[in-house]
This record gives sequence, structure tokens and C-alpha cells, in this order.
Amino acid sequence: MDLSVSLGRLRLPNPVMVASGTFGYAREMQGLVDLGRLGGILPKTITKQPRPGNAPWRTIETPAGMLNSIGLDNDGIDSFLEKLMPYLASLGVPIVVSVAGRSADEFVELAQQLDGVTGVAAVELNISCPNVSGGVDFGTDPAMCEDLVRRCREATEVPILAKLTPNVTRIADMARAASAGGADALSMINTCLGMAVDWRNRRPMLGNVMGGLSGPAIKPIALRCVYQARQVTDTPIIGIGGIANINDVMEFLVAGATAVQLGTVNFYHPRASMEVLDALPGALEELSAGSVTEVVGTLNTEKK
Amino acid sequence: MPFALEAVSTSVPVVENVQLATRTYRVRIECPQIARQVVPGQFLMLKLAGNDDPLLGRAFALYDTVDDASGQPAMVDIVYLVMGKMTARLARYQPGQMLDVWGPLGNGFEVPECDRLIMVAGGIGQTPMLALGKEYLGGRSYGQPARSVHQPQHVSLLYGVRSADLVAGEADFRAAGIDLKLASDDGSVGHHGFVTELLAHTLEETTGQRRQVVCCGPEVMMERVAEVCHSAGVPCQVSLETPMACGIGICFSCVAKIRQPDGSWDYRRTCVEGPVFDAQAIEW
Ligand SMILES: Cc1cc2nc3c(=O)[nH]c(=O)nc-3n(C[C@H](O)[C@H](O)[C@H](O)COP(=O)(O)OP(=O)(O)OC[C@H]3O[C@@H](n4cnc5c(N)ncnc54)[C@H](O)[C@@H]3O)c2cc1C
Ligand SMILES: Cc1cc2nc3c(=O)[nH]c(=O)nc-3n(C[C@H](O)[C@H](O)[C@H](O)COP(=O)(O)O)c2cc1C
Ligand code: FES
Repeated sequence: MDLSVSLGRLRLPNPVMVASGTFGYAREMQGLVDLGRLGGILPKTITKQPRPGNAPWRTIETPAGMLNSIGLDNDGIDSFLEKLMPYLASLGVPIVVSVAGRSADEFVELAQQLDGVTGVAAVELNISCPNVSGGVDFGTDPAMCEDLVRRCREATEVPILAKLTPNVTRIADMARAASAGGADALSMINTCLGMAVDWRNRRPMLGNVMGGLSGPAIKPIALRCVYQARQVTDTPIIGIGGIANINDVMEFLVAGATAVQLGTVNFYHPRASMEVLDALPGALEELSAGSVTEVVGTLNTEKK
Repeated sequence: MPFALEAVSTSVPVVENVQLATRTYRVRIECPQIARQVVPGQFLMLKLAGNDDPLLGRAFALYDTVDDASGQPAMVDIVYLVMGKMTARLARYQPGQMLDVWGPLGNGFEVPECDRLIMVAGGIGQTPMLALGKEYLGGRSYGQPARSVHQPQHVSLLYGVRSADLVAGEADFRAAGIDLKLASDDGSVGHHGFVTELLAHTLEETTGQRRQVVCCGPEVMMERVAEVCHSAGVPCQVSLETPMACGIGICFSCVAKIRQPDGSWDYRRTCVEGPVFDAQAIEW
């Protein structure tokens, strides 16, 4: 069974990655997961300067999902490269470093700083985090998105992924724009903007009022986004959103994703990525496929 | 940092689930790998297996471990208060029903050598104290290999509740040889008033001895305990119950303001750097 996949210039041994912000910096998981089996690891998004993140409460559970407003809590790229990257590089797994800049220049600088670093297989541009002011325009304005991706692509040799937000009117426009800018792949989706209210105290439940919804609750939205993007671009897609088991993974592959990232499920079922990897060959066989690639985008929407 | 290097993630059956007090239950689960390793002050994450709502696990402190017939720790006891989504359903669980569990997690208590170990608990914050008291009285050992601890001469638990019907595990504490003193908001049992008053009194009575306070309960109560200890010059450790989504350090939701060596504070993950902290390190 051929599990390998190509996302533009990025080649992965298998399509099962773990999503940024939902796997720490991987070291936290080494006791629970055989990290070496993963198709790719995305450490938590890093920024140029350290950020303390938002005030608690930072997460709230909702039916079949959760809201978060972590606010890109991280120690900045210099600390990341010095303290965290050596361990990640030692794992022998493609490391896709997620970055967020406040301006196009900052995104380019971050990508340049990561270009050529041992172990860095690709850079994912987080142009979609709902929890920070600034940055988010790149995820909602197609022209800005295209320009940003192009600039990062031109300034570096490293494969560039664009992580899209579902919080737009037409996701297809964003997918087209990121593709036109030269993205190696589109990661979709980031969280859906939402909120929770404590009516007795007339207070928002999250310290930051609004936050991003993730988990099984958003899977139908994510599938729809992947499907819509697939209609307008040949750029490989990484499906993200509520993936918790092998059925979810197969749904995304059939809908048009070449690879997937598991997010929130790592919190409540830490070994989910391993279980998905165990089950993947059998599921592909069920569709009489000899490789992952054979099932990607095979959704049949003809009227019966 | 004590990442969950030895933690396991598995599904385990409920052995028994019994009521101890009003809205308070003890669930016993069979999980030898965790029971052998866990030390007092550490916690586990429990999730109702196969359920999407509630979706996330909940953190529960170790109450105690229980041996199998061969004398090896094989089961873990958790004591919980029925609060919301997860615990309301858990209270109806029958033996044989499955729970997802991952742990042991967090750092646990590590008490320096002292004459008197004074444990202070508010409400359901009493749960980490039984195992700790047993360990420091030499009644039971925890960890693999078993931790060796300096035994103080005296171990007490000052336990504050809203009312008498919420007192849980009283017989367990007494059987372990822990000197139990109760306080209640309504005066229905023990001292009529706050547990911090009991603490201030105990500290006065024991001046001159080497004392160590450990504390778990509502945040306002822990802050007050920390103040009382600070002004008496007595070291104090607190176990925070910050809301957690994963328990293993990967979501960054469980942060508390922790003082850094340079005097500033930083948000730190209580699930991996705590839940036990020196009270002086916390910016309340
Ligand atoms: C390290 C650690 C150790 C712990 N140890 C123990 C222990 O030993 N025993 C124990 O009983 N607990 C313990 N807890 C607490 C435990 O993890 C759970 O938080 C607790 O059991 C409540 O879970 P629940 O699902 O029943 O309640 P939830 O449904 O999560 O509700 C929790 C509280 O938040 C309120 N709430 C939730 N959602 C909303 C909403 N939408 N609007 C308004 N209010 C809301 C509820 O009313 C309730 O008061 C510990 C926590 C930590 C972090
Ligand atoms: C607590 C939390 C933190 C997150 N942090 C980041 C982040 O730093 N960068 C990022 O690109 N996405 C972040 N995400 C979004 C996830 O990577 C993912 O896109 C989203 O949660 C949808 O997938 P899921 O439903 O499987 O979780 C975060 C999600 C959660 C729940
Ligand atoms: S609870 Fe997720 S990092 Fe602590």
C-alpha cells in the first residue's frame, strides 16, 4: 500500500499530520504517541516576537466541540529555533512550521528565517487565526492573500502552505487566490468564529469574548470548504476540521483532500493519530485502492 | 518539565461507583499501569468513552490507589462532586461501563522535610489529601519505584465545607491516622467559619516547629491560605484547579500567572508545570 503523498514540493510518508496549536511542540506527546509514524507535525504557530497570549478562560467546551481564544501564546521564533526546533528535527518526521506575522514583511521574514533550517520541511502561513488583531486580512482579502503567498514563495526555497479561514463568504475565492500566489498546498480549515454566553451573569464565557470553534461540530463545514476549493483549483488540499477517526479521514480524502491534519481530537483522544494510521491501509483496500492518491477527490456528485 | 513521559492512554472499566456524601461519589477504575506509577497530587484525565458531548476529558486528582489480590496497585479511586455535564452522567455509571483515561499527569506534591504537615482543603479540594497523608504517615507508598519520603511527626487535615452533608471520606482520613479538623460555613459541623481561621489557629499553636502547608480548594480560599502562610513565614504549596482541555500540555488553555526569577510573570501551563506550585510563585 502506497501511503505517501505529495503536496506541491512537500513529500510526506503518509497523509496523517497533526494540526498547529493542538499538539504543543510534540515533545509533550512523546510518551503517548509514536511520533516517528506521523506523516507530518505542525508545532504551535510562532510569531516574530514572544506573545503572552490571551487572558483565561481560553477554552470552553460546546456540544461536540470547543471554543478557543489562546491568542498565539508563544515565545517567538528565536526561542523556537534555539529551544524547540532541535528536538523536532531529531524526530525524522517532516516538520511544517506554522507562522503568523502582523504584516506581509513579517511573514516573509519568518519564512526566510526558517528556510534551510535542518528539519523544516515546509512553512504554513497562518493567515487565519481569529484570536489576534492584524494578520487576519490576509485570510479574507483574496488580493492580499495572493500577494502574501507570492512574496513568501519568491523569497524562499521552502514549500509554502496557506492555512485558510472558513470565516469568509466565498472560500473558493481564497483558495484560488492562494493557489495563484503559488502555494504548494492549502490547509483548510482553521477554526470557525463563535462565542458562548453565560446568561446568568450576562458575561461572555471566554476572556476574549469570541473564539474559534473546532472539533466534530465543524467537520461538515470543513468538508464543504474542501469540496468547494477542489472545484476551483488543482493545488493539493490538506483537510482539517473535526477529524477524529478513520471514517473522517476517508471522507476528506474522497471530498478532495490529499492529506489531513488532526486537531482537537488530540486533546480528548491522544492516540487518535496512531489509530487512524493503523486503520488507513484497510480503509483504502475497502475502496480497492493501492495508494492514497487514488482515492483523492473521487467524490461522485452525479444525480442518481 | 514533567511531560507525560510515562503516561498511558487507555479505556478502563468502572469497578464500583459509590456515593460518599451529598452530590459526592467515589469511582474506582481498574488501570494497573496508572495505579503503579501515580503519586499524590498528580491527576488523571477521564472521559466518558464514546461520547461527543461532553467531548473533552476532565481532570481528577488521585484520591487513592487500591491493590489487587497479589498486593500490587491495580485500581485508582477518584472522588468527584457532581457539577455539570460530565460528572452528572458519571454519577449514573455502573460497574463494567467504560471510561477513557490518560495519566498519570502533572507534578504532584513533593513535601520537604518538616515536623508537621498541615493539609488544608476547601470542598472537593480535599481529594488529593488522603494519599498524601497516607504517604507521609508511612501508611502507603506510591510511585514506581516507591517514593521515599521524610515522615513528619504529625499530619493534619483542615477541611472546610459548606455544610456537614458535604463532608466526604471522613472515615478514610481518620483510618489513615490523619488528624482531621472540620470547618463549615453554616456551623453544622466542626468550627463555624472558614478553614483559614483553623489554619491561623494551628499555625499559632505550633510556632517554633518546622511546618509545611499544602492546600487545594477554590481559588479565593487558596489565595487566603497563601497569605496566612506567608505572614506566618510557613512554606505553602497549592494545587491549582485551572480549567483544562487536554491535561497533557498541548492546548495551552490551562495557564496561570506564574512569577519568573526576574520578578515578572508569565502564563504557564498548569497541567505540565503544575498543578502543584509554591504559593509564592503564583500571581493571584
Ligand atoms: C488538576 C485538577 C484536579 C481536579 N480534581 C478534581 C477532583 O478530584 N474531584 C472533582 O470533583 N473535580 C476535580 N476537578 C474538576 C473537574 O476536572 C471538573 O472540572 C468538574 O468535575 C466539573 O466537570 P463537569 O463536566 O461535571 O462540569 P462542567 O459541565 O464542565 O461544568 C463545570 C462548571 O462550569 C459551569 N459551566 C459549564 N458550562 C457552562 C456554561 N455554558 N454556562 C455557565 N456555566 C457553565 C457549570 O455550572 C459548573 O459549575 C479537578 C480539576 C483539575 C484541573
Ligand atoms: C486550542 C487550539 C489552538 C489552536 N492554535 C492554532 C495555532 O496556533 N495555529 C493554527 O494555525 N491553528 C490553530 N488551531 C486550529 C487548528 O489547527 C485546526 O485548524 C482547527 O482546530 C480545526 O481542526 P479540528 O476541528 O480538528 O481541531 C488551534 C485550535 C485549537 C482548538
Ligand atoms: S490542559 Fe491543555 S495545555 Fe494544559
